[in-house]
Amino acid sequence: MKLHSFVSCIVLVVISGACRQESVNGAKYGEEVFLEEKTEKSISIDDLIANLKDSRNDEVIVVAHRGDWRNAPENSLQAIENCIKMGVDMVEIDVRETKDGKLILMHDETIDRTTTGTGKVTDLTWEYLQTLYLRDGIGHKTPHRIPTLKEALELCKGKILVNLDKSYPIFDKCFKVVEETDTKQQVVIKGAIPYEQVKEEFGTYLDKVFFMPIVRLNHPNSKSIVNDYLNQLQPVAFEFTVPQDTIKMIEYFDDIRIQGSSVSVNSLWPRHNGGHDDEKAALHPSVYDWFIENHIDIIQTDRPQLLLDYLRKKNLHN
Amino acid sequence: MEILKRNVKVVLFLGKFLYVVVLVAQSAEVLQTNRAALILEHLKNPSNDYVLAVSHRGDWRYAPENSLQAIQRCIDLGVDIVEIDVRLTKDGHLVAMHDYTIDRTTNGKGKVSELTLEEIKSFRLKNACGVKGSRIQVPTLEEIMKITKDKIMVNLDKVEGETVREAYEILKRTGTMKQAIFKGRETVQTMRQKYGGLLDSIIYMPILIDNTKNPSQFVKDYNNDLSPLAYEVTFDSERSENFKQISEMRANGIFVLTIALWDALVAGRTDEMSMLQGPEKSWGWLIANGANGIMTDRPGELLQYLGQKGLRDWLRE
Repeated sequence: MKLHSFVSCIVLVVISGACRQESVNGAKYGEEVFLEEKTEKSISIDDLIANLKDSRNDEVIVVAHRGDWRNAPENSLQAIENCIKMGVDMVEIDVRETKDGKLILMHDETIDRTTTGTGKVTDLTWEYLQTLYLRDGIGHKTPHRIPTLKEALELCKGKILVNLDKSYPIFDKCFKVVEETDTKQQVVIKGAIPYEQVKEEFGTYLDKVFFMPIVRLNHPNSKSIVNDYLNQLQPVAFEFTVPQDTIKMIEYFDDIRIQGSSVSVNSLWPRHNGGHDDEKAALHPSVYDWFIENHIDIIQTDRPQLLLDYLRKKNLHN
Repeated sequence: MEILKRNVKVVLFLGKFLYVVVLVAQSAEVLQTNRAALILEHLKNPSNDYVLAVSHRGDWRYAPENSLQAIQRCIDLGVDIVEIDVRLTKDGHLVAMHDYTIDRTTNGKGKVSELTLEEIKSFRLKNACGVKGSRIQVPTLEEIMKITKDKIMVNLDKVEGETVREAYEILKRTGTMKQAIFKGRETVQTMRQKYGGLLDSIIYMPILIDNTKNPSQFVKDYNNDLSPLAYEVTFDSERSENFKQISEMRANGIFVLTIALWDALVAGRTDEMSMLQGPEKSWGWLIANGANGIMTDRPGELLQYLGQKGLRDWLRE
């Protein structure tokens, strides 16, 4: 009896030793394997808005580009819902208008890549579009449908901030849906234009929704564009495009935060962040340290789960 | 006398014990050095308490489809077989590419067969939301076999018609012949005509698709000639002739791979059904109906489900 348990003990030890060895060998990049954790956390919309307005705290805002497009079709209701469940703070979605004036979510000018149909959104009617299915990331048909802006905002209401991309030129129509769904306080609009132009084109909305200027740091006048905005609008945040991480303007970020505007940088592609991008972070999440070290308040990502996991470990996200 | 008996027993037991330790150490050695070999063992001798996870085009949600990163991710997740598509370039290299053209998945344009390897390598893969500008290149089959060697099995799609010989040469060169599973829809007679004895040197998995003529004859001919260790079986409904073949294959101890990618391949019991209605209804149903392995677009979720069901204990890391 005793011998039996002794044998099994030894066997267990040998097996577990072998297994430990194996999992070390399994990781290719000489480090542990980074498996994303599936988490479900929620935070009130009031806290999200308060955090967006607060440029001085350490809580980082995570923005998911086109929703959780890895696990559901991009710009689908499911992709938004996944973000809410994950604890993403803001979802970026793309708005386009159909031939008959319906506002829908669609990234491309045509529906060819992401749906079972073909053609330009502006040439197609809602009657036709609602018969189609969305495709997944390798082009296969899914059970998911093209959502309307209204459906998307109803889903987001009270749960997650929303950045409506491509909505600027059609914002009069979009704003009606925003009002109708009572989601004004959650909506963020971005534009890569100077203050004077925004005031002229978008003036009536500047006190109704959040406007976030996009400033390219390799633009020769980037600093004066920023100062114009700081003096005249005090936007909730600036989105900066940072083609190289040696650009001097990065040193100005803390000043901007002290003056009351948050700083947003995309982790999406190398040209947004001087090469500290999601693709690199997938191999080494510590790539995101660049954002943390530079006190970036808002990060738009294609790897929301990875980024949330990393920030939570550092106590920089709820 | 009693004492002597007891001593003999103890000695015998110690002997057995040492034997067990040596066996375990040996298999631990295998486990450490060649997980792929263990997976092959399981393909040869399928059991009810371990279900193989096969990832379609690598974990394409995580990294571009058919990229080294998408394949590495499968290794890291603990997937058993990674399915990839291979095509021949103009200058005779096998590269991983699903479509005839590189248009959908890279920032370049053109047919694989009209581009050289150098040209294809100059382009970069897109991610699954169609964004260009990754740093990731189209991999060659050789690169794939090198990173997967001893770690995971590879299922080669799109080779049957033309490139079995070219793929065979690469497997030989990289010492991975026992790690790659070829597959195809042709009858055994057609395959013999095309490739003759070469078929006996590779692992070949015939596919039963819904327009396979006379499925039972198709299977019988394969069993008699090649006795393949596995079949890929698709069925658009439970009334399908292919579906009926599954129980017979299982009775003969042959491994059955089902393809949970879209409705017409598994009578609707897809990955997507798992996500929307829960895994019991789809993956659970497939296993209950004879699947030894499931090809999936959701490798992480499938492994999690199989683990919870106790269907991954045999190779647990």
